[in-house]
Amino acid sequence: MAGDGYQGKVLRVDLTNEKITTEPLNKEWAKQYIGGKGLGARYLFEELKPGTDPMSPENILSIWTGPLVGTMTPLTGRYVIVSKSPLTGTFLDSYAGGYFGSELKYTGVDGVIIKGKAKKWSYLWIKDGKVEIRDAKNLMGKDTFKTEELIRKETGEKWARVASIGQAGEKLGLISSVTSDLTRNAGRGGTGALFGSKNLKAVAARGTLGVEVKDIDSFTKMAKEMIIKDVIENPDHSGMITDGTPILVQMSHDAGLLPTNDWHSGMFGSVDGINSEALKSRVLVRKKACFDCAIACGSSAKVKQGVFKGAWTEGPEYETLGMCGSNCGIKNIEAIVKFVEDCDRLGLDSISAGNVVGLAMDLYEKGILTKKDTGGLDLKFGNEEAYAKMPAMIANRQHIGDTLADGGKRAAKKIGKGAEKLVMEVKGMEYPAYDPRGTIGMALAYATSDRGACHLRAWPVAGDAYGSGDPWSPEGKAALCVEDQTRTSVKWSFIFCDFYSVNFPNMAKYYTAVTGVSSSEEHLRQVGRKIWNLTRAFNVREGFSRKDDTMPERLEKEPLPEGKTKGKNLPKADFEKMLSEYYKLWNWDDQGRPTKKSLQEAGLGDIVNKLPYLK
Amino acid sequence: MSEGLKADLSKCTGCQLCAVVCSATHTGKFNPSEARIEVQDLFPEPGEYKLNYCKQCDEHPCVESCPVEAIKLNEGLGIYYVDKDLCTACGACVEACPYNGCWLDPSGSYSIKCDLCGGAPQCVETCPKGVLKR
Repeated sequence: MAGDGYQGKVLRVDLTNEKITTEPLNKEWAKQYIGGKGLGARYLFEELKPGTDPMSPENILSIWTGPLVGTMTPLTGRYVIVSKSPLTGTFLDSYAGGYFGSELKYTGVDGVIIKGKAKKWSYLWIKDGKVEIRDAKNLMGKDTFKTEELIRKETGEKWARVASIGQAGEKLGLISSVTSDLTRNAGRGGTGALFGSKNLKAVAARGTLGVEVKDIDSFTKMAKEMIIKDVIENPDHSGMITDGTPILVQMSHDAGLLPTNDWHSGMFGSVDGINSEALKSRVLVRKKACFDCAIACGSSAKVKQGVFKGAWTEGPEYETLGMCGSNCGIKNIEAIVKFVEDCDRLGLDSISAGNVVGLAMDLYEKGILTKKDTGGLDLKFGNEEAYAKMPAMIANRQHIGDTLADGGKRAAKKIGKGAEKLVMEVKGMEYPAYDPRGTIGMALAYATSDRGACHLRAWPVAGDAYGSGDPWSPEGKAALCVEDQTRTSVKWSFIFCDFYSVNFPNMAKYYTAVTGVSSSEEHLRQVGRKIWNLTRAFNVREGFSRKDDTMPERLEKEPLPEGKTKGKNLPKADFEKMLSEYYKLWNWDDQGRPTKKSLQEAGLGDIVNKLPYLK
Repeated sequence: MSEGLKADLSKCTGCQLCAVVCSATHTGKFNPSEARIEVQDLFPEPGEYKLNYCKQCDEHPCVESCPVEAIKLNEGLGIYYVDKDLCTACGACVEACPYNGCWLDPSGSYSIKCDLCGGAPQCVETCPKGVLKR
């Protein structure tokens, strides 16, 4: 048996007309864009009418795997939701690990394209070639854990893998997520609200069809070697294997860039209570891996004592420890475990949730919010009792939660009284947990990310604040971002996990072994440049340009108070300098718009006539 | 229980690479549902993994239960395996096994269970955490 890693099929679901069809995968696009991010972006660019309201039935919600997903390629057990984001209005690609991605692929499809809006709440059940739109009446109001359990019961499939929304998505909160395999989230950009806007409670899959590759014997032999040499013995992975991302908490604190008390400091006095040591000594039960992963960065954690006894999660990982921990002044990891369990159950993006709760605490301490807004909660930094009630308040849109549910930017605008100047976001997406005042390249990474403030497109902090580079010099930061964005565009198309430090030559090696298509570092770099230009072109077509590639003004006006970052800020002039250099490196115009020439050079000559600004 | 695989479940992280490589070896494609080993993730409670596979137990009730004598002894390895050609997929062995060690393949056409890959079990070679041992 020989295949090429692809299933060769795309499932189309029209929820409005309850019509389900299967069509051949566009093989030409698959060759050009690989899978995941790239392929999803191309379908979306082609099929979504510019200016579509993201919450309308006309928006397209698609779920993609990639050619390596479901094979033995390590750290590829992933899926991506591709759509236009209701939080930012930009292109959106939101990823999750766990087991849903490979299961979906094993049903015999590479991706699912969902349009329209169901007349009543429904869920999609995909069992091998059979697809049904099922009544979700019994699932409504249920959290994601319960939803998975009920769908497994209802379908009689103990191995059904479920991606579902909780109460937050049902209530269309724009910082809601899609949760799969209990604790894995396609977290960012309002994926939960996208499901909700289509009356879609869940997508559940059970696949037994398998995946075929070019030459299974030689591929399996190669994969076995790579698992040992390039994953287990790769020095880049040692911290991920022993600790997982929580190892970054102490590193960020030491570097003075750990968001603390709504971004008012880069150091947290109680870091000992929330760092990796705290996790390991106080709540860790066992290490947990996603499908095909030899690292197992996940930490199954359970609270053993105190008021949050019994709370369970997988993680919390770094972003959550920062945003939901130090940024809310929370001194004990047990409270964070409880908060994150609730985020997973309710379907909330913990990065955004930590940001908006930190913001609300800040506003409460400033007297801008009062107990009248908080439903009587004393919402001070570090008040664990009040803090632990916030995910439910946000998801269910109660009290101030109703305002916070749509993200920091909208909440701040509604609250007013200076709140707008506090919120840390780009294009409406809240900042992840690296304060650019301690690593200014991250401000550029957030500003130029295609889905709003995101750390998963470029991560210059690795080379400067965590490494040996100068974190405050604007020199060279644009090049770092361009390099990372090129590489991650390819990584997210296969779909590799962020935590596999896989280089271009090895990506090419896997790709060729699975598909039989010859590849090289230069080939994949070209693919990466093409994909990044495509998502940029999508955003420009939606009206985005330099004016939207911003930094929060606090970065300039509020220097950090202590440690290595004492007195440090990011002058706006330095930011603009990095931004101009960045556009130049991509050969875009000074407004950050791909030009006809740059698109042609990127191999995107065929989309030029679909971009009105180029006419 | 001397000849079958041994597992130290405390080290298991649930990555399923054992099932992935098992399916590749036995079926020529990547398809954990056709693997001879099954990883059960039991979260949030009790927060454990369970590995289902044939332990090659001394009692081997599967052998006695089979009405067509399709479960045969590989004398070289000292283990019992399913002769696919003889198996009628009646499911008697699945019922008889106290360890969830065998089951019908997804097509329902025969029973499958661990055969130690003929002596060099691929799951043992592949497991990144050293859970499985011969």
